[in-house]
Amino acid sequence: MTKKRTRKSGPRIEQFVPPEGVPVNFTIATLGSRLGAQLLDLIITYLIVFICAAGLFYGGMLPVEAETVLIVLLAFLFRIPYYIISELVWNGRTLGKRIAGIRVININGRRLTPHQVTARNLMKEVEFFTPLTMVFAAAAMSNWGIALLLAWVLAITIVPLANRRRQRLGDMVAGTLVVNNPRSVLLPDLVVASAASVPEAEMFDFLPEHLDIYGTYELQTLEEVLRDPARRAVTAEIESIARAIVRKIGYTDPVKSGQELAFLSAFYKAQREHLEKLRLFGTRREDKFHHAEGANADTAADPVKS
Amino acid sequence: MMPAAVAEPMNTGTPLDKDASQADLLRSARFRMEREAHWRRLDALVTRAEKGGIISLSYDETRDLVEQYRQAMNSLSVARDISLDRALVAYLESLCSRAYLVVYAPQESLGGLMGRLLTRGIPQAVRRSALPLFIGFLALLLGMAAGYRLFIEDASWFYTFVPPDLADMRTPEASANYLRSTIYGDERHEGSRLAAFSSSLFSHNTRIAILIFALGIFLAVPSFVLTFYNGLVLGAFFGMFAQKGLGYDLFAWLSIHGVTELAAIAIACAGGARLGLAILLPGRRTRRAALRHEAHDAVKLVILAGLMLIAAAFIEGFLRQLVQSPILRLTIGWGMGLFWLGWLLFSGREKKIRRGRS
Repeated sequence: MTKKRTRKSGPRIEQFVPPEGVPVNFTIATLGSRLGAQLLDLIITYLIVFICAAGLFYGGMLPVEAETVLIVLLAFLFRIPYYIISELVWNGRTLGKRIAGIRVININGRRLTPHQVTARNLMKEVEFFTPLTMVFAAAAMSNWGIALLLAWVLAITIVPLANRRRQRLGDMVAGTLVVNNPRSVLLPDLVVASAASVPEAEMFDFLPEHLDIYGTYELQTLEEVLRDPARRAVTAEIESIARAIVRKIGYTDPVKSGQELAFLSAFYKAQREHLEKLRLFGTRREDKFHHAEGANADTAADPVKS
Repeated sequence: MMPAAVAEPMNTGTPLDKDASQADLLRSARFRMEREAHWRRLDALVTRAEKGGIISLSYDETRDLVEQYRQAMNSLSVARDISLDRALVAYLESLCSRAYLVVYAPQESLGGLMGRLLTRGIPQAVRRSALPLFIGFLALLLGMAAGYRLFIEDASWFYTFVPPDLADMRTPEASANYLRSTIYGDERHEGSRLAAFSSSLFSHNTRIAILIFALGIFLAVPSFVLTFYNGLVLGAFFGMFAQKGLGYDLFAWLSIHGVTELAAIAIACAGGARLGLAILLPGRRTRRAALRHEAHDAVKLVILAGLMLIAAAFIEGFLRQLVQSPILRLTIGWGMGLFWLGWLLFSGREKKIRRGRS
């Protein structure tokens, strides 16, 4: 069915069912944010090595040999060991991942073990560091070398693109996933907020047939508009939305100019109430195409409408 | 029977103050109003646990966290059903996922990790890896034999195998005296210089070992090839010194660190081979499950290789220059070999026997 078009392109979800029996969802991190986190880590670590080197060089406190030892060890430490240690200490988050808002979790939803952290980061050598170094050395390579390098890079980039969870080779070896770190912000309830801020909203009445047009998708799109202060401020957009809704639902009472926002708030409240009531009685109305889905859904909803 | 909220839009009464209008609110808005305080409390607890770990919570708070977590999960399941307020559901979804991670996937404790690894984990992993270890050492030995044979037949192979910066004047054209001088430390190094040398050796060798391991994922072939190549270089080198009658001296010179270092390379190759074998011969598991299973031992092999390379770099950096007698060099080198062998063969045995019988 083409109806489900909006679901297909959405973020990929990994679901865990804890013993409580209520599934919790995690969004698989996009490859862009993962690459961003990796580059950030690379920049941060090399910046630290560079600063240390500069500090030692200008400080001149230590003999040259001791400085070399320090720099060599530091440069080594900031390759694989940095990722292992930071993911161990911060439970799956390196500095770059923290900034990018992603984290590593165990694929079975339980705690991340040291083994997994080590395994996934050891594979980084073959997936990231060595190809990266070789790309810089590509100018001096023979054609065969370049072809090999290309095949290598292709192989390691195809892997995360080809599986649904976007696991790279290291993730597969270790059994880990990279997900977006959930961030929770509780926005005020629009129904409560609008009652306080837009008192004229009480002026509008809606009949059941007005509320039978739209479904959840349209309701939540309206919610997005009403929640966005930038879009609320644009009167032209609010007006056009209000006019479109009035026309579509066949609302007959006049909506005076300047009262569009109040109308939308009132409509949001009434529509949400209506749909939530339908839901309680077992009718889920996903979007405005519910009429086209056949008579079955409508007859089921009928007794509730009255 | 109609829910109280259903009748609400019909009466257009003036808005009352907040408390009085509660009865008027939508069911989902009332639902939220009643539970919001609990969610905020859980949010605060989870935020603290995320920042400072679960240890930063007191006993009562931890108990509270679990209770609030169950309630929030309950709320989430109800909200998914009754509420069309996207912001509310999104908040609960994220709050519950965070709380889930805090409750079910907390930070693993790292205490005693190294001890367990050294006494049991690594030796047991090695004893379980007979076939991959055979492959690793086979790659190295075959490489050495091939390098030696090829060099004996045609000395120009040397230039093909050995990169110039590694050879460093030690070419087939060099005189026996010069070659001898490279073995018996005429290169005068001070202590700190040696440290720099050994640290760069360690860093370089470990990188190679990790690469050899990680390449194993491509069906183990690149690991084998890279190890074979390492053997090839060594074989050619040995052939060159042997032709000049310095075979025994080079053998001693190499043994002091080489026994440890080359074993480490072969062990890293064995780790790679385990990964490759998991993909080639997954048995009854799926390939991905087999890979994940084999990775447990493979990673331990790499850690072992890393530890051995630290020791090897230390020996190569310091002892090789300080100890000049071939006998002593041989003793130290092969003594280290015996030490590794003893540790890997006998450590953590009892536990394994018990597990095997049960």
